[in-house]
Amino acid sequence: MNEYKFILLVFLDAAILIGLLGYYIYKSSLNPEGDKSIKNPLRKRFFFLIMLSAVLLILLAITIPKSPYFLFADKPPSKLVFVDAKQFNFIMSYQAINPKNPSAGESIELPVDQPVEFRVTSLDVNHGFGIYNSRAELVTQTQAMPGYVNRLRWEFKEPGTYKILCLEYCGLGHPVMSSSFIVK
Amino acid sequence: MASLSLKKVSSAWIITILTLFICAIVFGILMRLNQGNDIKLSPNGFYTLMTTHGLTMIGIWTVAGMVGIQYLLSRYTTVSAKLNVFALVLTIIGVIMLWISTFVGNFHTGWTFLYPFPFYIAWAKWATPLFLWSLAVLGIGWFVWSVGILVEILKKYSLKQAFAWQHLSKKDPEVTTPPFILIATVSLVGIILCLITAVILLILFFAEYYSNGSFKNDPLLMKNLTYFFGHTLANEALYLGVALLYELLPEVSGRPKFKMTWYIALAWNFTMIFVLTAFFHHMYMDFVQPLGFQMVGQLASYFASIPAAAVSALSVIFLVYGNKIKWSLTNILFFIGVIGWMIGGIGAVIDATISNNIVLHNTLWVPAHFHTYNAMGNVLFCLAFFWWVANEFAGSQETTKSHKITIGLMLIGGFGFVLMFYIAGAASVPRRFAFYPNELQIGMTTATWAAFFATLYLIAMLAIIWEIVRKCIRVFYSS
Repeated sequence: MNEYKFILLVFLDAAILIGLLGYYIYKSSLNPEGDKSIKNPLRKRFFFLIMLSAVLLILLAITIPKSPYFLFADKPPSKLVFVDAKQFNFIMSYQAINPKNPSAGESIELPVDQPVEFRVTSLDVNHGFGIYNSRAELVTQTQAMPGYVNRLRWEFKEPGTYKILCLEYCGLGHPVMSSSFIVK
Repeated sequence: MASLSLKKVSSAWIITILTLFICAIVFGILMRLNQGNDIKLSPNGFYTLMTTHGLTMIGIWTVAGMVGIQYLLSRYTTVSAKLNVFALVLTIIGVIMLWISTFVGNFHTGWTFLYPFPFYIAWAKWATPLFLWSLAVLGIGWFVWSVGILVEILKKYSLKQAFAWQHLSKKDPEVTTPPFILIATVSLVGIILCLITAVILLILFFAEYYSNGSFKNDPLLMKNLTYFFGHTLANEALYLGVALLYELLPEVSGRPKFKMTWYIALAWNFTMIFVLTAFFHHMYMDFVQPLGFQMVGQLASYFASIPAAAVSALSVIFLVYGNKIKWSLTNILFFIGVIGWMIGGIGAVIDATISNNIVLHNTLWVPAHFHTYNAMGNVLFCLAFFWWVANEFAGSQETTKSHKITIGLMLIGGFGFVLMFYIAGAASVPRRFAFYPNELQIGMTTATWAAFFATLYLIAMLAIIWEIVRKCIRVFYSS
């Protein structure tokens, strides 16, 4: 199971559980026989909150190190790609792009299983830089913000054509703002 | 006790809010039909609808909570109907200006109007200042109103008592703070901070606009200000709805009122702090943001859920479980709203985890979670209040009529509608696309189904709203 399906499944399980719990509690209030109300609510609530806090702390400890800021941080990138986003296209080059005369270089080809770094900025409004694999799954992303350069490091595990979509609403041409590169 | 003038202005508010709500749902359905390739809107048409839908929805459900808070506050202290009229007039003017800027001027930056987008004019030139001024008018109205309500609370309770701090040190303090007062205070303080931030944001926009570009803003600062204002306002709006629940749910259910305890006081004081820093999760994909803020974003997003959501959900569970409850539409709506809030909260926590956010950020997972805790959470809290108050206006006893069909339609429509967002979000479909590229076919299919489910939700809402509005109108004929 891939991470996308896993996320959806975790969510749906939790949602169904909450729904069933809600229904069970509702049913219990229709014709209660005898006193079924919860005793010692203060203690039970305190215990539940401690448990919930513990679960959240464990989740924090597991997930924080997987944040994109730490990924491949100690591996020098084998290739640099400069990306300037502009309504409504991406200009990509192996060399730094002159913002006064932005032009793309040769088409981008990146190595498989080696860290690469995208240096992403915008020449006008905010854009997103979302990289999709050949199965149309979002692999990674960063934002393209004018006046700032976001450095996105990634290691592509699969060869193929990767598509870039804009993931920050930027105007009428937002859905057609795309580009691509090859990993081999 | 609510005065007749307060009843009349509350009625006017309710009718205005619900009329705008119906319009905004229709805008949303049109957007989903276009994404499903079932109708053909121009990109301009789609994005003006998107901008109007987002801002209208967030605005009306914030003021809906405020209407409820001020009305119920009249049980504790004297409240000014004039303040309410002032806010209503400015809101109507602001909404008209906003809709003219979008529908006539074609302004279409989305609710975020992320700097410097409003200055890259692809619409009527006058629409940018009109849009910014419309927000200023709304902001002034709501700021004065929020401060006014807070002052009304402080006429009866000291600041310390309004925050229920006396409950932290003493088991049985002389003055007890009702949970409603504490939650309203905490939420209003948050809303006032949001609106101050909005004022700063607008001043910076105006400074650049009227200096003809000789003054330039910093995009990172502007983005932080935008999300502090927008995200926090959406959260505080929900908490206003929760305050209504704390006040009304036990009463209409025939159960003892919720009592203030040290942990409820502590929970909501913590919420006030956590919720103010949770907005950093909107900036996860801006890697230039200081790392500490990113970590605070995840921590605050996780722990904002414990005090408010967990404590409130448990309070409701203990109130209902195993106790004979007099169910009516009011408490059914509150109860389903809590379930929607919890489910939306799970979706939010998943998205607020940075390592998930890298594949969920700005996909349809984002509208999935916020539509869950709004359409199936806060909207239901506020509708529960509207239903209850409409019956009070009409002098009619609320019947225990089950409204089974309406509730069934609302549940299937509401949860079906958001489920389509979750499925598409997990399938990497981007948000805010007027149409989808061929490889994202699932985006189209789910959009069509979402429009179908949203129509069911709309039918259920129309059935409830019709009865509320009919009863609210009667207030204008009473003396």
